[in-house]
Amino acid sequence: MKFRSERDSLAEVLATAGRAAGGRGTTSAVLSGLMLRAEGNRLEVTGTDLDLTVRVEHEVIGLEDGACVVPGRLTADVVRALEAGAVTVESDEEKVEISSARAHFGLRSFPAVEFPSLPLPPPPTVRFPRAALFEALRQVVRAASNDDARPLLTGVLLTTAGHGVRLVATDSYRLALRDVHGTAAFDGTDDVLVPARALAELQRLTPGQAAASANEGPGAEIGVSPGVSDMTFTCGPTRISTRLLEGTYPDYRQLIPDHYPNRLHVGRDSLVAALRRVRLLVRDNTTPVRLSMRPNGVDLSVVSQEIGDASETVEGDFTGEDLVVAFNPSYLIDGVDAVLDDEVFIETDNPARPATVRAASRDDFRYLLMPVRVS
Amino acid sequence: MDDAATGEGSTAVARHAPSILHVDMDSFFASVEVLDDPRLAGKPVIVGGSGARGVVASCTYEARAFGVHSAMPSVRARQLCPHAVFVDGHASRYAEVSAQLHAVLLSFTPLVEPIGLDEAFLDVSGSVRLLGAPVGIARAIRTRVAAELSLDCSVGVGRSKMIAKLASRAAKPTAGPRGKRPGPGVVEAADELRFLHPMPVERLWGVGPATAKRLRDLGVRTVGDVAALPEQVLVRALGKSLGTHLAALSHGQDLDPVVPARPAKSVGHEETFAEDVFDRGALARHALRMAESVAVHLRAGGVAARTVAVKVKLSDFSQLTRAHTMEIGIDTGTAIAAIATALLDGMELPLGVRLLGVSASGLHAAGSGRQLRFELDAAPSTAREGRAFDAARRQEHWEEVMSAVDAIRRRFGTSAVGTASMVGPGGIVVPGRREAPWGPPAEGGESSGRT
Repeated sequence: MKFRSERDSLAEVLATAGRAAGGRGTTSAVLSGLMLRAEGNRLEVTGTDLDLTVRVEHEVIGLEDGACVVPGRLTADVVRALEAGAVTVESDEEKVEISSARAHFGLRSFPAVEFPSLPLPPPPTVRFPRAALFEALRQVVRAASNDDARPLLTGVLLTTAGHGVRLVATDSYRLALRDVHGTAAFDGTDDVLVPARALAELQRLTPGQAAASANEGPGAEIGVSPGVSDMTFTCGPTRISTRLLEGTYPDYRQLIPDHYPNRLHVGRDSLVAALRRVRLLVRDNTTPVRLSMRPNGVDLSVVSQEIGDASETVEGDFTGEDLVVAFNPSYLIDGVDAVLDDEVFIETDNPARPATVRAASRDDFRYLLMPVRVS
Repeated sequence: MDDAATGEGSTAVARHAPSILHVDMDSFFASVEVLDDPRLAGKPVIVGGSGARGVVASCTYEARAFGVHSAMPSVRARQLCPHAVFVDGHASRYAEVSAQLHAVLLSFTPLVEPIGLDEAFLDVSGSVRLLGAPVGIARAIRTRVAAELSLDCSVGVGRSKMIAKLASRAAKPTAGPRGKRPGPGVVEAADELRFLHPMPVERLWGVGPATAKRLRDLGVRTVGDVAALPEQVLVRALGKSLGTHLAALSHGQDLDPVVPARPAKSVGHEETFAEDVFDRGALARHALRMAESVAVHLRAGGVAARTVAVKVKLSDFSQLTRAHTMEIGIDTGTAIAAIATALLDGMELPLGVRLLGVSASGLHAAGSGRQLRFELDAAPSTAREGRAFDAARRQEHWEEVMSAVDAIRRRFGTSAVGTASMVGPGGIVVPGRREAPWGPPAEGGESSGRT
């Protein structure tokens, strides 16, 4: 195999696929590698840890067809470190040679036959407008759990809702829910639980990779190929395949209160900025921010043992009974920041019941947040 | 001195007036036992291990009258005082009383340096304007401790920590034939050299039996003798660091500042076993006991821990550690033990276990903020609000712990057989839990203790 490519684009392709490759702790060393397959002027780079697979297609100057498995992290580092310009990659059975104008690297490679043979994903059957899906992912993925002790909660639920699809994630402290209307959703298909990690990788695709030249602009789409136990997202030249999580997602609907006695109406940006300021005094994740709601707005305060205290007032409207409720400031910022509107509602019941953060003018996003109980 | 300039601890200026206090509870453990069980009043009570290898941790003045003192082997104590009442001791109760003591002390000055459970140094130089002379503060402390804890303490006042400690010793009650003979209660070493110089040289900090013997060979018996020697002679006899140190101390120069207790970063308990432990069930029982002790200290400090670690030393002295961090803090013995046991279960233990340690870190103020969580998978949340928060809280705690235990088992595996059966929804059940760090009790021996 031999091809030539421009440094920056090759480095980016290697980094994207490399995020799915296993780290040093992987069970099988070859999974820390990246499969490079050249055919004509087309290079496909694949990284996988068997749960998540990222394939990126890349146009190169093909000199000789073939395949090899390169050490993932090292190859990406080497290519990124080369001088700008053309990079030549050539492989034989045991080694891959990477050279630029003056530098030359010879890296030991893995036998290509050891790399798992991954089934080719079927072509997409469902398409989402890219902008809407990315917007929804930005709002929802952050609420998923990182804790492997609760595997189901590390997923994002995709479920049919009305004339669209609903995305739901919760780590049991907060829950984000977004409806994407008017998309050809998975009519008739069951709910699927997609690992948040795969969706986070999808989000990370840079505009250049997400949209190949032919697929650019506002009309760009993400193709989805639902399988029985896996799902593939096609986004321009990149395909992200993930194993789906199995199990019954908790019934999130019973958590959503149908009525709130108290509602705070404030500007999103001023609230986020004030929260970020008072959060400076938070040194561990047990220090909450207290929100004292009163008719003309809300007083924020953080009291951090041994560090000090901070407070700030945010003007706004409040209807309901004056109350003080405390939250993890980062969780609250996550929610307010996810609102796609200049004005937000924070609806509360009492200091031990979930609050809701949502836009004042639209109804397609809800962020439920459990308070922190303070003594 | 650098410490003085940093603003931490007491300042050098403060040293010109005798404003360091040493507060020492009188026969602390034994007095607490008498307080809790009035039938013991007036009797020779010994807190400590009653077994063959036990030692005396504390004893009442009635026992001291027979020559019993702390750190003495229990066997010897029993010879001296055959009718003594042996008590196993109740570490959690002592920690509780100790917390009350420190609360009292902190109301006089923030500069409180606790030494163990029953002693503390205070620097009251900053409180003089508000509360009057240090001697008066010392008396007020005794009165408050007596009123709030129903226990006695002795207080020494001096310009340095060592002098204050020697003064509190001089303030102590003594043991007479009919038990306790009250001491002065408060002693101020105003003329500190006159106070210090007649004392035997062993009272100086840093003088152990070996140094004392070397000094005796120089004809030195009292602190005054040390002070009379040229410093070079001491340096030649004892080496530079100890020589200059003792010379300074003998002249009453000790600038060791009172350093207020820092919030602990971790709380741990470890033990070397008399015999290597092979049985995993026995190991789990030890872990539970240690977890209980760790939990007592956490609760006494009002903190909860997010990380639990276990340390194991095998008979070949190789050491293994495992730790697990949770999203929430825990402060109960059963919860800590559940995590510790799960960590132990995941360890390969090809040899006998020589030492076991359980520690808790990632401490934060308990209840300073509890992130509530959704009741996922629970019945529809109607009319649940009336439910007592505490029950929910405990349940939530336990769910978190069990999910952590599951995660540990998934990560490290379970190589033990049988121990899992000890873990139930109510925690690990171990019969005959005791808190006796100073040695196991005698088999069937006379010992009175709450269980």
